[in-house]
Formats: sequence, C-alpha cells, structure tokens
Amino acid sequence: MHKEGIKEFPYYVGINSLDQLATKDDRVVVLNILGNESSTVTPISHEYSGGNVVFGTGPGKSGKFLPTKIGNIPVYNSIKEGCEAGHKFNTVIVYLPPSGVKDGVAEAVRHNPNLKKVIVLTEKVSVKDSRIMRAICQTNGVDLFGGNCLGLADSWNHVRIGGALGGNAPEESLIKGSVALFSNSGNFTTTIAVYLATGGWGTTTSVSSGKDVYIQYGPQEFLHAFGNDDRSKAAVLYSEPGGYYEYGLTSDKPIVACVVGRWKARLTKACGHAGSLAGSGDDAFAKERWFMDYFGVEDIYTPEKPIFSKKGALVTNIAHIPAALTAVMKLNGQEPDFAPKGNLDLKCWFANNQGVELPAELDIQSEEAIAPYNEQIAALEKHVGAQFRRETLKDASGASMMDPKTQVSRIHNTSILDASTHTFEANLVFALVRQYPCEYGEKIANLALNGYVSQHDQATLAVAEASRANGNSPNTVAAGALSVVGKKVAEKAMQASQALLDIFQYEKMTDPCEDFDYSHLIDKGVEQASAFLADEENGCATGWAEIMNSAGKSVFVSFLQDLAKKQGKSLTLDALMAATWMTLGWASLKGKKISKDTLVRLPWYSRIYSTLVGITAPAASQTDSTFCGVELKKLITEFSFTRTAFLALMGREPSDNELYEFQVLLGLIITNGPGTISAQGSKGAVSADGPEQPERVQVNKAFIGFLTHTGFAHGGNGYEAAAFLIKQFKDTNLTDAADKNHGLDLEEMALTCAKEYGAYKAKQKAIGNLAFDKIPCVNHPIFKGKEVNYDPREVFVNKLFEEKGLNNVFLDYYHQLVNGLFKAKVSKDIYCVNIDAVIAVILLKMVWKEYKAGKLDERDIETASFSTFLFGRMIGCAAEIDDHTNRGKNMDTRTAASQCVYIS
Amino acid sequence: MQITGMLWGRKLLDLVEFPHSEVRGPELSVDEIKDMIKRHGQVFIKPVFKGGVGKKGKAGLLGRVNNITDALKEKERLYFAEHKVGDSINKSDGVTYEGGVPADYEVYFSIADNTKYRAPTMTITHHGGVDIEELDKDKIIEVPFDPLTGLKAFHVSNALMSLGAPSEIISPLVQNLPKLWDLFNNYGMTMLELNPIRMMKGKRLTPVACDFKCAFDIDDPAWKRLNLPSHIFASDYSEFEQEINQLRTYQGQSDVFVINENGDVTAPTFGGGANAMVTELLGESATISSDFGGNPPYEKMNEISRITFNHWLGQSNVLFVIGGKANNTDIYETFRAIADALRTYFQEHGPKPLFVVVGRGGPNVIRGMSYFRDTLDQLGLPYRFFGFDSAMSEVVNYTMKVNNWMKNGGAEVIKGKMNI
Repeated sequence: MHKEGIKEFPYYVGINSLDQLATKDDRVVVLNILGNESSTVTPISHEYSGGNVVFGTGPGKSGKFLPTKIGNIPVYNSIKEGCEAGHKFNTVIVYLPPSGVKDGVAEAVRHNPNLKKVIVLTEKVSVKDSRIMRAICQTNGVDLFGGNCLGLADSWNHVRIGGALGGNAPEESLIKGSVALFSNSGNFTTTIAVYLATGGWGTTTSVSSGKDVYIQYGPQEFLHAFGNDDRSKAAVLYSEPGGYYEYGLTSDKPIVACVVGRWKARLTKACGHAGSLAGSGDDAFAKERWFMDYFGVEDIYTPEKPIFSKKGALVTNIAHIPAALTAVMKLNGQEPDFAPKGNLDLKCWFANNQGVELPAELDIQSEEAIAPYNEQIAALEKHVGAQFRRETLKDASGASMMDPKTQVSRIHNTSILDASTHTFEANLVFALVRQYPCEYGEKIANLALNGYVSQHDQATLAVAEASRANGNSPNTVAAGALSVVGKKVAEKAMQASQALLDIFQYEKMTDPCEDFDYSHLIDKGVEQASAFLADEENGCATGWAEIMNSAGKSVFVSFLQDLAKKQGKSLTLDALMAATWMTLGWASLKGKKISKDTLVRLPWYSRIYSTLVGITAPAASQTDSTFCGVELKKLITEFSFTRTAFLALMGREPSDNELYEFQVLLGLIITNGPGTISAQGSKGAVSADGPEQPERVQVNKAFIGFLTHTGFAHGGNGYEAAAFLIKQFKDTNLTDAADKNHGLDLEEMALTCAKEYGAYKAKQKAIGNLAFDKIPCVNHPIFKGKEVNYDPREVFVNKLFEEKGLNNVFLDYYHQLVNGLFKAKVSKDIYCVNIDAVIAVILLKMVWKEYKAGKLDERDIETASFSTFLFGRMIGCAAEIDDHTNRGKNMDTRTAASQCVYIS
Repeated sequence: MQITGMLWGRKLLDLVEFPHSEVRGPELSVDEIKDMIKRHGQVFIKPVFKGGVGKKGKAGLLGRVNNITDALKEKERLYFAEHKVGDSINKSDGVTYEGGVPADYEVYFSIADNTKYRAPTMTITHHGGVDIEELDKDKIIEVPFDPLTGLKAFHVSNALMSLGAPSEIISPLVQNLPKLWDLFNNYGMTMLELNPIRMMKGKRLTPVACDFKCAFDIDDPAWKRLNLPSHIFASDYSEFEQEINQLRTYQGQSDVFVINENGDVTAPTFGGGANAMVTELLGESATISSDFGGNPPYEKMNEISRITFNHWLGQSNVLFVIGGKANNTDIYETFRAIADALRTYFQEHGPKPLFVVVGRGGPNVIRGMSYFRDTLDQLGLPYRFFGFDSAMSEVVNYTMKVNNWMKNGGAEVIKGKMNI
C-alpha cells in the first residue's frame, strides 16, 4: 500500500528533480536537536542554508533553544507542541537514538500532513524499524532518506539538510558545478566532492544515501531526478557491495560509477538460500559487471588503462573519479566547470624520521598545507616543547620502569645496562633532556658541572661538615647541604635561559651546534640584554666561552658573544650557564621530548648535581684554588665530571680502568623503577609542592626527598656484600684486586666458605633459627631454578669488563662461590651471582689498596659505598623529579584514607 | 548471527507451533537411536555447526540411515566433520538425529528483506529440497508484502496458485506458513528459511520443517528474548570482534572484521567508504578491517583503540590511521583517544618499532594531528601525516611501501634507534 507518486516507480517517490531535494523553501524540524551530534551539526547547516530550521524537539526540553550565529532555534517537547505554536515545516531530520527513530518518524507523519521529506541520520536502526518506517512513509506520501546517512546538500541552492555534508566548513567542498553526487558513504560524499574539484568539477546536489539494508532513497530514484535536473550534466555514483539497488540503472546523461569492496565477498558467511536470494549475487564484482554492461565497457577505468564510453566509466578507486569524469564528459562535448583546484598528489603535512634514515621514496618531506590549514599549522609551531598530559603519578612514572621479566630497569626507555656504558655526565644530562649528548655536549656539560663543584667557603660545605661531624650518614649530610641550594642559587641563570628561549623558541633551528643565522634576533637580544650582560668583565665567563668555542660550536654562545660585542659589555657566568644548558637541551625541546619549563630549570639541576658531588669531599680537601689536591682550573677545563666524582669520593684520581669501572657502577645504580623508596621520596616531594604550578616546585627539596628516602637499608646496604668479601680476603696477601696473578686459590677459598656456611646454616636450622644470615648477592627470585643460573645483568657487565680486559678478583671469587655452594650441597643448583655483587666488587676493588694500606677503615668503605649509591641514584631521581613536575598532579602520591590500614 | 540446523531451529519453531520433524541431539543413546529408526523407518544424521553454515547436503555431510550399524558409522563420520565454505572452515561438534518424514512434496519457504522490492518478501516453491538457485525462475515466486500487516494467508494462497501447486498442499501451507512471520518479525530476524518443508502424509497433509536457517539483526535487541546461549553465535565472531562488539552503541561506529591474523598493518579506518577502499588496497597486509567513524566520543574511541592495539599492534609494522575528510567526526577527540591508547600500550607492553602513517581531514584536524604528532615524538616513533587533499589510495600505497621497508630491515633500524 502506497500513496500515488511518480508513476515509473512501483512504490511511492515524490521527488521528480534533484533541484527539489534540498531547496531554499524547505522548512526543517530536527528531532533530538540538543543531542550531542545535532547540537554541533545543526547550527552549521542552519547558518549555511540561511536559517531553514524552524524548531527542534527534545522531550522535557521545551523552552530551551539551540543557539546559532543567525539566531536561536526554539526547542519543544514534541512535534505536536511545535505545530501548536504555529510552526510550519515539510522536512524532518531525525537524530534520535536508534530505538526512538521509528516512533519519531511516526510522530512526524501523524502530526504534519504537509510532511514531504524525512531524513534519518541515526546509525544502527534495526532492520525491522526500517521496514516499518518505510511503510509508514510510503502510505503517507513522504520521501524517506537514510538511515545512517549524512543527508542532502545542494551547492546551487546553498542548502544543507540533515547531517554534515561538507563538515564544519561546507563551502570548502560544496562547490557549485554540474555533477550530481550519490554515495553510500557519508564521508565519501564530501571526499569525492573535494576530489572532483581537483578535476575542475563542482556539484549540484549531493545525496548521502546511507548503507543500511534498506536504502530508502536509492540510485533508481536519484537517477530519475537527475534526469529531470537541467543543472546536472553528469552523475557520480559511489556504491558498496550488498543489495540490488544498482541493478538495471539507466540514464540519458553520463555517469561515473565507483564500486569499492571486492574484499567483502570473502566475508560472506554461508547463510542459506534466502540470504543468497536477498543478499548474494550483489557483491562488488557483480555490481562492477552491472555498470560495465550498461556502459558498454570491458574493463575498469584506470589512469594507466583509461576505458570509458559516452555513457560513462567504472572506477574502483575514488581518486580516479575526476579523470574518468573528465574523459567521459569530453566525449560528450562537455568541459570542466572551472579550473582545477589543487591536485591529489601526496601532501605530507607532518613528518619526522626520529633520526632513522629512510629510503628516498619513503622520505617524503612535509610541505605547506592548503589554506586555512597552513595558518593553523603555523600557529602550532608556536607550541614549542612537549606538553604532557597530567595524570596521577602515584607509583607511576614517565621516566623509569622495571621490566618484571628481565629485572632490568629502564630510564627514558634505555636499559641501565646500556646507560652504564655512558659517562656519569652524559647520564646526568640524559636524565633531564631525554637524549644523550654528543661529544661536544659532554664537554660543555663537564664545564658547567665542574665549574660549580668546589664548595669552598660555601654554606653548603659548612652544613655538610657540621652534619658529618655529628655522625650523620652520607645521605643526611647531602640533604642538609642541598637545603641551601634554593632557587635563588640558579635564578639568574634560569632567567637567562628564559630570555634565550623567548628569543629563539620559534626559530627553525633544531641543532644549536650547527650554523644558524641569528642576525635578525640580535635586536630581541638587546631588549633582554640585562639577563646576559654586565659592565665588568668576568674572567671565568670569558674563559668558559672560549673553551666552548674551541671545543665546538654553540649558536647560543656565539649569539651572546655578538650581543655583548654590540652592546660593548661582557657576558656573565649565568649567561654562560644558561647558554650551556640551552645547547644541551635545545634538540630535545624542538623534538618535543622535554617541556619549556624543564629547559629553563636545567641550570638549577646543574647546581644541585655539582653540590652533591662537591660536598662529598671534606672541607679540608677544598681550598680557593684546589679540589682534592687538583688545581680548580685544571679540574674545570680538563676533568670529566665522572673523574671529579671519583676524586671527591676517593680523594685521589682514578686510573683509566678505574674510571671506566666507576662509570659502569654509577650506571647500574641509576634506577630500579618508580616503586623504589628513593624515587618515591623524590616524587612525593614534587607532589607536595604541586606540580600543576611547576614554577613552585622546589627542585632542591625534591632531591632532599630522594636523599631522605635512602638510608642504611636502601643505599647503604651495598656494604653488606663488601663486608662479606672483606671477611673472606682480609687475611690474604691480596694487594691489587685487578691483578690476575694474585696467587690465591679462589676455588678452595670459596669451597671452604661454602662448607662453613653449610655447617652454620644446618646448625641454625637445628636450633630453629630460620632468620639465619644469608650470603649476600647470590641467588635471585627470578633467575633461579635451572641447573646453572645467571643474572643477565651480571653477565652483561662481566662481558663488558672481559672485553676491556678488566679483572676483578672479587667477582671471580663470587663465581667460584656459587659453584662451591653447589658442591658443598648448600644449594640444589648453581645459584646466579646477582647484580648487587657486581656493584659490591667494583666498589671494593676501588678501595682495596687504601684499605690494605690502612688508609681506610671499614666505616670509610661503608661511607664510600653509600655515597657512590647516591651519585648513581641522583641520575634516576633527577629524571623522576622532572617527570613528576611535568606530568604529575598536586598531591597525587597520597593514599586514600579508605586504603590505609590501622594496626592495633 | 545465524542459526542453522534443527537442533535449535526446532525450539524456535515450537514458539509459533510450526510442525517439525522429531529432532534429537548428540546425547542420544544407542537404544534411543534404534527406537527412532524403528518409529520413523529412516533417520537423518546431521553434523552440528555453530553459526551460519550452508550447503551441507552438497558436501555429503548428511547421513541417511535405516539401521543402527549405519547410524553409528555415520555418527562417527559426522561428529567432528569439517566443512569448508568459501574461505572459512567449520568444524562440527556433535550430530543431530532427525526422524525421516515420508512425503511426496517438498516445499521451499523463506522470508527475507529484499532490496529489489525494499520490503519483506516471501519466497516459495513446491519444488523444494534442492538447491534453490538451480531452479527455473518460473518454478519459484517472490512475494513482497507490507510489514505493517505482515505475511497473510492470501499471500501464500495466491503465490501457490500462481505456481500451479497441487491443491492438496495449499490449504495446510496457508494455515501454517503465516505463523512464521510472527517468528521472523517478533525476534529480530532478517532471514528465515525452511528447506525442505516435507508435506507429511496423514488424514490430510501436514507441513513438517526438516531443516532450518535464520539470521538475526545485531541491531535489534528482540533476539535476546529467545535466551539463546551465547556460544551459538560465538563462532560468528573472533575474540577481537566480540570484544569490540561490546562497545556497540549508536554513538560512533565500531564495526570490525579480522582480515588476516598474520597481517602486519593495523589500520583504524574512519568511514564506511574509507574502510571499503583501504581494506581492499591493503589486501592481506591488513590485520583488520574497521569502521570507527560516526563521531565516537573520546572514551569510546580510546577503549576501541586500546582493544585494537592489544590484539594487533604487537605483530604490526605500521599503524595506519586513515579516513577521508570527516563531516562530523571531531578529529581532535578521536586522535587524542588513539594517541593516548598508543601511549598506554607502550607503557603496558614496552616500546616496539612502529611506523605511523596518518591520512585524515575534518573538524579540528590540525589540533588532532598536533596531539598525535607530539605523542609520537615523545614515543620516538617515525611518522608521516598526509592532508585530506592527498589521494587516499596514494596514502595506502605509501603505507604499503613503508610496510615492505619495515619487513626488510626497517623495523630493526627503528628498534636500534629506540634502544629496544
């Protein structure tokens, strides 16, 4: 049963010409107008169409309105209420949820006898409801469109009805022309219009049909109306598999058909003959054949093999539509509507190889985007540096992680094993800027770090000495000293950094060690000159700049020197400090690895690093010109910071081998993930300051948090293993732990120790003492259970040392010991020597000579062990502090009261 | 979501009191089989497949027995039989025993939505029991009818008359077939097929359904009223598809198919058109086919991405986010959701070498690309983002080339650069 419409159709169709589909006279009502999608889309449609929406509905929302630039659209509870208010309309747009769509359509038909069009945007309307809606509309003489469509648009009439064809900028794609567009895909309706413009073709009417089982307004109806529309000279049909909608289509005008989706044929699950009758035989191959038969062509049109007829062409790639259309139309004596707008070549808007060398054909460079996107991208370039999402960082970190499988911790995604092959200074920089410095970077980092390492005559050293004198542990001593290193210590250098950042941030300079023309920035520098320059020359600053220039190139230093020259003034030490850290952090900033806040704060971290190492050396070893007996000038200009740290710790310079072992040792200690107490201490300190206002985070206090969260059990316990080894070796003649020809029978020593330990263990068990002493640094909860067990971290370091020809008698002893424990039947299998042993044996090797010579006692060794831990862990905690400052939320490390437990 | 066979079909037919053959499941004992043979003279033994599996008869997966020895042999042959339909291989899990129905007439009957008529349509012939596509067109009739009034007796009567069906079968069919509309219409079906309906002899002929197929509309909750166990439909969807389907709401699409379990390009695709085209061009490189358009809210897109990444990113060389120029989908929201899910994946699974290719346009596209870009910079992943004015097919071709490079050592290069 259907109302009489156009006679050619066995069902009701009211639209006779495409120019009737979306007209200036259509008055529209939107159901669920204040819904999420409608409230975004409807105002744009309303404005584009010159105000065609008369009202909207929303149950319980009567009296509200939807604001648009050309006036508010009133909202009523129902269509009935809107009609009673005197509104007239002929079109209804449905944005209701699926379960309400059918009822909405019924309501519209029932209350408005003048209704002519219903457009259903909603997706996932059930097939049953589609059937019923169709029947209702057929009975009442209403043209139904959709569901799951994006409605109709007419470039000539400047009208868009239902949905969002053309998106939020309809004018960009709805360009007036001679092509009528029908598409199963809403997105492709717009995309094809954009593509057509590259061939010089504009559109008349665009129909997004939807792709549900029921396509209520199908290609048959569309082509009928196309035939009667004088504006439309050609049609483009985009079809996907399913349904017989395209079967037997004809037209007096040319058509380009695009059929996509051959792959869907293989998804068809066997579903019986009814399914076949209604569904199969209508896959992409079949549809292609229908069109080819109609066009009288034997193949698909491609640019390489352009096959077409006067009737049209078939393509299977929407990018080929413009060319196919132009070819077909040429045969029909028609030229494009306008000069081509742009082209469909690849246009890369954003590109980054991340340092990977790509083959030339893949290494497509970014280019300027079309307007207005180029302006938006240009505005983006003003966003310098990383912008992190803030989240609760309790027990979480963006800096470190421990892999529970391998037990190897990572910092900024670099395993500590790899980190241990880098120098101390490189790791200190890496912790903050998230990439390792180049050779020049390490040199200038050494300058900045060594330049402030001497604490002679500083309050920091006085506090440290007082603390030491009163018997505090190294972490407590350091915490006291760092409390002095407040923000003001580095404030001027940070101001200079901020000034350099302000001047250079929008420049396309990615590597400050390469040539860069900054002449246009000098004037900006003049404005900020007070941050960099002083009237009096500072010899240290001059020397610093000279060394930086002789070692390599820093655009920032050159810039500052030119500025000073122009102003007839001299550079300050703070300016050089700023220039140094800007050079070290710039590439990371531009690569969005670090934030601007981090870059500016780097001088403060630098001073803290220097102080923590500096106060480790006793006051007695620091004078106004020397540090641990080394001339300061020599130390600043020639020493690596790793060497300086060894010097501060041991009071002597290391050999090359010792230096390397020390570096590895520090690397292994860097982090054990965010769960360790030291990391938790530093993160808690940041959290308490409120990282959401990063300028209020006290960096030195955060380091104090780290320091107070180390202690005799965490950081000082490395001594246990050293003490165990001392016990084993103190009565031997061993003088040099690096000497391969030590003359000791390590196997025998280890076996004896193992037997003694076995006897001790048996005795303790016999008396019921299960808390008996364990041999430190053997066995591991993860690396166990095999006949012979290895800790991969120990294996890595052992191999590293073997390659360097570095011998360590204590490590050899440990390897013998795990065998001895097995032979003595203390262990069921051969335990691994774990990573803590590695740390202990490197440390003990460093101090063994002094210990044997009586220059150090066991307490000194414990202190050195603890201080070494603090040096290494300082790297990891610096990374945590900066990460938490950038990503964390205020007080995010607290535990909810509900999760706390009261122990009675 | 399909059901084939009488094991479950009989239960549905019982709802509308449509007669069917005696059907027993795999639990039947030897004595009970003997008893069935005794009562019916002939018993059909059919494998039980989950989901929609057709053309079993043609494949020889039908046992017709009249003694217990043959019955047990057929049971053994068919219990775990394999059946290849197209690219999919189905494995049976059990058999049914269906009592033979002696009859002179076999009828084919179905109701389905027919796109030619754009209406529910009955298809009927009294030359049933055969492959219906092979029947001459004049021996079968399609009758569209009004969904508001449903399938009526006169539809059946007129159809059979015009086919010239024997008069003795018309009345019983007219009485019984309209019941099937209630089954079709009330429980969210899109297709219902009985083939054959055997006209059992008696005082008068009785139509007895001897095989059953139906398909349900996933967007119509009416099928849930049937309380069918979920395992019936389990084989229709992969684990990944089932997980994504749980997020199925009308706000934003979430339609996915697994294309190649060993694919190495994972492409979250936006829009049905882009999905159709990109999946076709990616071919076997694609892990999945997806359509995530329709302006999904952040939370949904993030969850979809999380599930997709967890299932497919581990094996992928390229993450390919592709769509045309969106009409309504907020690109900032969707890209933010994808980027955050990618970051979460790296946090939970550790970093992996990946090349990211993006092609998209639409509202807030630059804000969205910017957020995505910054995330990739922080994760250290190389990428190319293309404007919507680049031919989508060219962007796919570029992706394919990247994938080839990744397979031939590129992934290792990125791995090295990322310190993995």
